[in-house]
Amino acid sequence: MERHTVKQLQNMIKDQSASVEEIYRLYKDRISAMNDSINAFISTEANEFSSVGDQSDSEISGVPYAVKDIFCSEGDQTTCGSKMLSDFVSPYDATVVKNLRQKGTIILGKTNMDEFAMGSSNETSFYGNVNNPWDLERTPGGSSGGSAAAVAAGMAPIALGTDTGGSIRQPAALTGITGLKPTYGRCSRFGMIAFASSLDQAGILSISAEDAAIFLEHMAGFDQKDSTSSMETVPKYTEFLNNDLKGKVVGLPKEFFDGSLDSKYQDLVTDSIHEYEKLGLKFKDISLPNIKYSVPTYYVVAPAECSSNLARYDGVRFGHRSTNSDDLDSFYKQNRKEGFGQEVKRRIITGTYVLSAGYYDAYYLKAQKVRQLINQDFLNAFKEVDVIMGPTTQQSAFKLGEKVDDPVSMYMNDIYTISSNLSGVPAISHPVGFVDNLPFGLQIIAPHFKEQDLLNITHRYQMETDWHLQTPEICRGID
Amino acid sequence: MSIDKSDIEHLCNLSKLNLDEEEQSVFLSQMQSILKMIEELQEVDTGEIEPMAHPLQMTQRLRNDEVTEFNERDKFQKNTDFAEDGFYKVPKVID
Repeated sequence: MERHTVKQLQNMIKDQSASVEEIYRLYKDRISAMNDSINAFISTEANEFSSVGDQSDSEISGVPYAVKDIFCSEGDQTTCGSKMLSDFVSPYDATVVKNLRQKGTIILGKTNMDEFAMGSSNETSFYGNVNNPWDLERTPGGSSGGSAAAVAAGMAPIALGTDTGGSIRQPAALTGITGLKPTYGRCSRFGMIAFASSLDQAGILSISAEDAAIFLEHMAGFDQKDSTSSMETVPKYTEFLNNDLKGKVVGLPKEFFDGSLDSKYQDLVTDSIHEYEKLGLKFKDISLPNIKYSVPTYYVVAPAECSSNLARYDGVRFGHRSTNSDDLDSFYKQNRKEGFGQEVKRRIITGTYVLSAGYYDAYYLKAQKVRQLINQDFLNAFKEVDVIMGPTTQQSAFKLGEKVDDPVSMYMNDIYTISSNLSGVPAISHPVGFVDNLPFGLQIIAPHFKEQDLLNITHRYQMETDWHLQTPEICRGID
Repeated sequence: MSIDKSDIEHLCNLSKLNLDEEEQSVFLSQMQSILKMIEELQEVDTGEIEPMAHPLQMTQRLRNDEVTEFNERDKFQKNTDFAEDGFYKVPKVID
């Protein structure tokens, strides 16, 4: 098969070499052919072609896309990867979905994910794990693993994801695609099922940075319904893509290059830095001294916010309802016991612990103070450099089941990605090569609201290289 | 800080979550390793540092007090089989 970019689809629609319906059917057929082996989609029944997509003369009109099953889309089953919401049908659209729907885009289906976005391997989904298209015995990463696998395997040209601690960038890295987490507040969180409200942000998984720029322009912006969405003007990201990179300075944090990365991955990072030097970027060693506390800080803040957000799932108004209870207290407890999986329960319990009487100051307040220090590290660094680079992950896709019984080892997956969520800065991951036929990603981090720099830098790299265009073996023989 | 089985029971009660015996003991050992990991934060000197609650450090915006949303109870109640006459049904609360 040929994996089309959004840009290519736009051109096909414009020069009428394919109709919008033909393009939609092509992806639906690929999903039917491949989803049994990849399990990237939880549902694809809704949104039959005839009933979707406002007629619009927008530049993305007619482009189909996949939506992580954490976003409400009116009339569709929206499970958030959980048994708790297996029967939940969204009564309204999330703002980002609504924004895209008004531009005439078409939803292909809702993608698989770790339950309530809690996980880094997609193994916590109630709907079964997703298999990495590059090696079906390995994880595609998580929590946006379904979106990542769908784009990597050509089952969707582009997909929405969310990123609370790396949930867009890590799966993008592990499946060889481009993943953008915008600045906190850049996209509305309304209708996006909440996990950790001060960290959650909607973003994009795509083949190229150019595609991400095209979609972000239409998704982002202030929303009356999300009081934490930003009023900052949304730039025309596509106009920045070809800017000259000469004179831009990149910081290489010594904490990301401390020798702990296996040399086979380090070599790929070094090669990409050389490529960027040819494009005119200058490199400088910097330090983010508090970044080593990112993982413990996150695993206080995120479970605390999760325990509070997930209190709403009581089974009364919607969600799983047990038949095994006779009084109100056991009704709540039983609904939640049966509706939530292990990882979600563990985080609710952890969050409840760090917020409970006697521990609040020692854990939650302390973590918020350390979060401030981590944020200061970024603000200080960005006085000297335009962006920061490093690996997205410590390793390429690992085997399914490998880390599932050891939460702390699983949590360490996000060691490079978590700090941007704590600070709220935007970050992107793009593929920079392969180790043993498995893709590996480079992460670039920019100051708040500088998504255009991330997209510009990545686009220039992708004009010179073709790592982002590599297609997994499983796609051969499809179409 | 160490944690024991009675703490897990207490936390389950606070968070309205039933766990069976096996889950409780698995959680206990996993929680111990998670707490050990987050214990690292205690070594950071945070004396005068302001806690950071929000990435953009902004103040909460208020909108004008105008009606913009209307009651769509019937639509929202389609997500349960246990609504009757506009009410939600739960197990008996008062004898």
